[in-house]
Amino acid sequence: MSYESLLASVLEQSTPLVLAALAAMITLRANILNVAVEGMMLVSAFSAIAVGSATGSALAGFSAGIFGAVGTSLVFSTITLRFGAGFIVAGLGINLLAAGGTLFVLERWYNSPGGLRPLGFPEMWHVPEDSLSFIPLLGPALEGQSIIVLLTVLAVPACWVFLYRTPTGSYLRAAGEDEHAARSAGINVVRMKFLAVTISGLFSGLAGAQLAMDKLHFFLPNMTAGRGFIGLAATLFGAGHPWATASAAVLFGFFGALGDRLQAFDIPAQFVLMLPYLVAILALTFSRWRIYVRNKPAKL
Amino acid sequence: MINTNFKESLHALIAPLGAIALTMALGFLLVAAISDEPVLAYRELLFANFDSLSNFALFLNRATPLVLISVGITFAFRAGVFNVGGEGQLFAGAIATTAVGIAFAGLPAIILFPLAVITGIAAGAAVGWVPGILKVKLGVDEVVVTLMLNTIVLLFTSYLVNQVIRDTTAYGAVSWKLPEHIWLPTIPGIPGATSGFMIAVVLSLVSWVVLFRTQWGTEVRSAGTNLRYAEAVGIAAGRRVITAMLIAGGFAGLAGALYVLGIGHRFEQNFSPEYGLIALTCALLARVNPAASLFTALYYALMLNGAAYMQISTEVPRSLVILLTGLLVLLMTARLTRKGSNNQTFDAF
Repeated sequence: MSYESLLASVLEQSTPLVLAALAAMITLRANILNVAVEGMMLVSAFSAIAVGSATGSALAGFSAGIFGAVGTSLVFSTITLRFGAGFIVAGLGINLLAAGGTLFVLERWYNSPGGLRPLGFPEMWHVPEDSLSFIPLLGPALEGQSIIVLLTVLAVPACWVFLYRTPTGSYLRAAGEDEHAARSAGINVVRMKFLAVTISGLFSGLAGAQLAMDKLHFFLPNMTAGRGFIGLAATLFGAGHPWATASAAVLFGFFGALGDRLQAFDIPAQFVLMLPYLVAILALTFSRWRIYVRNKPAKL
Repeated sequence: MINTNFKESLHALIAPLGAIALTMALGFLLVAAISDEPVLAYRELLFANFDSLSNFALFLNRATPLVLISVGITFAFRAGVFNVGGEGQLFAGAIATTAVGIAFAGLPAIILFPLAVITGIAAGAAVGWVPGILKVKLGVDEVVVTLMLNTIVLLFTSYLVNQVIRDTTAYGAVSWKLPEHIWLPTIPGIPGATSGFMIAVVLSLVSWVVLFRTQWGTEVRSAGTNLRYAEAVGIAAGRRVITAMLIAGGFAGLAGALYVLGIGHRFEQNFSPEYGLIALTCALLARVNPAASLFTALYYALMLNGAAYMQISTEVPRSLVILLTGLLVLLMTARLTRKGSNNQTFDAF
């Protein structure tokens, strides 16, 4: 296998994870532990498939996915920022609401609680061959991928620029780091948090659309299968920095891909599937342990 | 004095009851929109549990794990640990009890029964200990660790029940049946209702006394309110937090143990309709009070079982209840008055 095709498969597999991680990262920088990414992704995946198959248009499905997730994020931000609900509790509520809501619609209107598998589904736009070959390594790996993969590759530097090179990004980080100081400096903290949750909805929407629309073309109840949480772990592992977060997400995606291979060596599938979660706990523990060792007072 | 106390407790009741009422009202609108018989649907949802003695028994069985887990979660929350790991701890307890029960099926009940229960509690406590110690020693975020541990434990039990103790004669991922001599007896007079429910009721009341009327409980709560202050006044706060997590895990493990011994009589991979998350809801709705979570757990058991009766008689999908639970969780900690954004989850206590 050439480097390009290996890179291509890593990119494809880890795209939903990277997007989920970016979604959790933006909110984490505004000091919100966002457990609702999972639910927003699920809403996006469902609306993408439902609208895409009903209209026969990939663009309509894609937009529906984004709107679904952003709409969910608005519910989340309204209930937390306007009505003062706890972020974790409300996030878990969003996840339940997304799981229950999609299942309810499947049972009531589609009469198929097992999932939604349209017979024909429009193809998403893919990066044409030979259009990016002038970029070494990354160019050929991107060719033939869905537009969302390309957007994801661009989103990582975009997040970095946004967070570290724009005034709004600085305000957002300030609001997350010290709310009271930020408020005294005249920053509208609630607005910054609202912005962070909305951006997180946008990324979750892309993640859900990629998951359902790119190769699979169907929706299953609970098809996000914990990716939102793995993304959260990647963010915490990457300490909220765009490059580190995206790398961690790719690493976790790599573990997933590695899992498929290991299965061939008689290792039970369950242990393989555990790997990203175990790595997440170990990585978090390790990063906290490093801080602990660094801050430990020296022995006299 | 009594008057202010009464007013306070009345005020404490308004928020959760308001959230429940609002959710039920929204649910009713939804049901009315899709069904011709919304009143019948809601009657089934709320009252079909009491139509027959066997329905009532199923209702008590449903409530048993919910009461136990939410009482356990109360200990964790009071100690300041946001334990989302009830599901993993429950599964750990259930699988451990099943494994011991099957492996030593030859032992007499007087030895095997306590052994199986204790193993279940210990397994749950072990799963609860990990996030506790990581939080206290290194400050690792417990929400993330418990969330990840849930998936890890569920995958592990799925491995055990599929590859190691699977009942090859049965359909689906279920273990061999436990030997009949260690089955938990039913409540006299209510055939089919597990006596585990009585244990759950007693434990929830005992937990209230322990948390609110003993020095140890006060120390746990002070560790949860302000860890550094508690340490400064000489409380071994870190140890209290870890013990509280062991208790939380132990309660969920006990829920798993009592489920397999008293209700399922075997381990089934899909035995839990997210008991862990629902129990967390019960604990929060009860404003983190073990005695009150007895009632919120009963309410949830009512809804969970009622949904099935509702689906049978009115074709309203039972996933309505998951949807309503989501709504309730969403609304639970919300307030109608405008407040600053700095009120976090623990404010709701």
